[in-house]
Amino acid sequence: MSGTEAGDRSAFLATARRRLAGGVSLNPVHPPPPPAGDAVPRPGYRNLDPHDLLGTFAAAVEHAGGTCHVAGDRVPDDLLDRVAREVGDRPVVTSGEPDARDLGGSLAARGATVEGASVAGAARAGLGVTGAAAAVAATGSLMLDSRAVGTRWASLLPPVHLCVVRVNVLVPAPADVLRGLGSGADALPSSMVLVTGPSRTGDIEQLLTLGAHGPTALHVVVLTGGPGRASTSGAAPRA
Amino acid sequence: MSGRHPLASSTLRQRTADAVADDRLRGNVARAVDRFAGHRAIGLAELDDADGLRRAARAAKQDVLAQLPDLLERFADRVLALGGHVCWAATAADARRYVVDVVAAAGATRVAKSKSMATEEIDLNAALEGAGASVVETDLGEWIVQLAGETPSHIIAPALHKDRHQIKDLFVDAAAAPPGLDTEPVELVRFARRRLREVFLEAEVGVTGANLAVADTGSIVLVTNEGNGRLVTTLPRVHIAVLGMERLVADWRQADLMLALLARSATGQRLSSYTSVVTGPRLPGEADGPEELHVVVLDNGRSDLLAGEYHEMLGCIRCGACLNACPVYRQTGGHAYGWVYPGPMGAVLTPLLAGEDGAAEVANASTLCGACMDACPVQIPLQDLLLSLRRRKAEGAGTPERAAWRAWSAAWSDPRRYGATTRAATAGRRVAGLAGRLPVGRDWAAGRTVPRPAAERFRDRWRRGL
Repeated sequence: MSGTEAGDRSAFLATARRRLAGGVSLNPVHPPPPPAGDAVPRPGYRNLDPHDLLGTFAAAVEHAGGTCHVAGDRVPDDLLDRVAREVGDRPVVTSGEPDARDLGGSLAARGATVEGASVAGAARAGLGVTGAAAAVAATGSLMLDSRAVGTRWASLLPPVHLCVVRVNVLVPAPADVLRGLGSGADALPSSMVLVTGPSRTGDIEQLLTLGAHGPTALHVVVLTGGPGRASTSGAAPRA
Repeated sequence: MSGRHPLASSTLRQRTADAVADDRLRGNVARAVDRFAGHRAIGLAELDDADGLRRAARAAKQDVLAQLPDLLERFADRVLALGGHVCWAATAADARRYVVDVVAAAGATRVAKSKSMATEEIDLNAALEGAGASVVETDLGEWIVQLAGETPSHIIAPALHKDRHQIKDLFVDAAAAPPGLDTEPVELVRFARRRLREVFLEAEVGVTGANLAVADTGSIVLVTNEGNGRLVTTLPRVHIAVLGMERLVADWRQADLMLALLARSATGQRLSSYTSVVTGPRLPGEADGPEELHVVVLDNGRSDLLAGEYHEMLGCIRCGACLNACPVYRQTGGHAYGWVYPGPMGAVLTPLLAGEDGAAEVANASTLCGACMDACPVQIPLQDLLLSLRRRKAEGAGTPERAAWRAWSAAWSDPRRYGATTRAATAGRRVAGLAGRLPVGRDWAAGRTVPRPAAERFRDRWRRGL
């Protein structure tokens, strides 16, 4: 199903083409570097320890204002107890990802009201639980994919976002996620987002204030053991 | 448009004088730009060879601009194939008309906006309101200036010129906040969050700009910290993105490079909290997201710049680093520049894009110190462009003034003639002050204190043995 076009494409582009026809005039005082062609360098990150992606990731999540817990094959009981206590009687919403639903089940067993994510439910909830399609060590980012049902609402509307991520989706740098986009057979999802820390604003006196429109707190649990579930990502992370 | 911006109704000199006389404004601006600049230095220092990446980003932008028409076609074809709609808007009026029509066709009356300088440039809010829609800015800083009836004074921190007390008073006066509202930023943010959450949930149309657009995949990249960009592109049924035609990159390698530099140059963050990639409208099988996506590709004077000496200005990624580095912006804040874009990037863009009286002189709002190019993540030679704009303006000056300058230049190129002019100046010292009132000297004298020649020339004193 193709979209529609408004305005005059050929006239619009003809104007630009006419301007470019005679070549581009280069700045004589500070001449630009020669055309790069296909050579676009991969940014290197000084905080990235290639031998310790997990350590780099955990530090970067904290640097961005989140918290990071490293666990084995399941979310530890004491963390679940604490989360259940903090949520109190407000509902919990989970995305459709298996790890998120499992975690929702564990919280329900502790007395929490757990729902699948809907706009109305997420707007009332005290906690949103999601998985992630990829995690980026250098920046502490989580990649959320809109094909996983409910990820957008659960990660955005409640005041606290808890994300469960498998260590096998951890990649070194944003390039490992971004540079593969669109190269696979699958279409990209309509929305992907790299989440780096909780929602924040500096709009009042440039002072950092957490929890502008999205969550005030971001908790990440990295599961290092157990069977890795298949990634739902369109961008297969590099091994 | 000119009603909202004081470009044509006042002079740069008047606006600068007003800003500099406002101690509170200067304090607010200086505090903010110092924080930004400090964070930027730390953020860039974490990259290997940040300057090498900046050079590469400049080269990448040159590549993009040289093949922009082809990239725009590739991008548009991808968007259309994904089921999105594309509008080719040659002018601001074309873009406004299209957006107003889409809102009307959707039967919508409530529009939520995420901060976008392109929509400021085309004055979209007034057009939507004129057509009967309510428009709410959802970026906190942008909401603050909307409530105040002002325009943004910084491209990434629109309300940077206001402090917490001014913001609290504004919330009480214009947003029905309780008079006892605490002035702590966290409380002010909590109030805004509650109030704007209702807007998100009710809006039928979401309007954004775009930080980047990626031709290869037909994707739009939105970089925000607050989460409003995500809400605006998730909850409303229709998403309209207004895309300056130069925002394009060819592929995700270039996008990766730009994103590594963008947030660090703006706020010092490794990445902003939310880097959203929007690729077409909601897919079959997806549970959420807008059903309609409209991308408005905006020219509005940009294509005129494409190949000429100002073309590198189209590489600007709107990070705000040049504003934070600029000694002039630090003293005046953004409103003194008179139009949409402030700081060094604004001093270049305003004469090129504003198309209003008073636009050309904004290129004078610079010391030409070069701090802007040093701060620019894509190394735009801003000071060269500013100098060139001044030359262009001078070349348009009246014939008598140009003749006077040519005569001066010839006289001072020769020691004997130089001596004759200083002798004449000393002799005519009493009337020298009149120079500024003569037609040929008026432009030069405006903003300067015309010096009074000494009673005795230096070379005469030297000859006497001082």
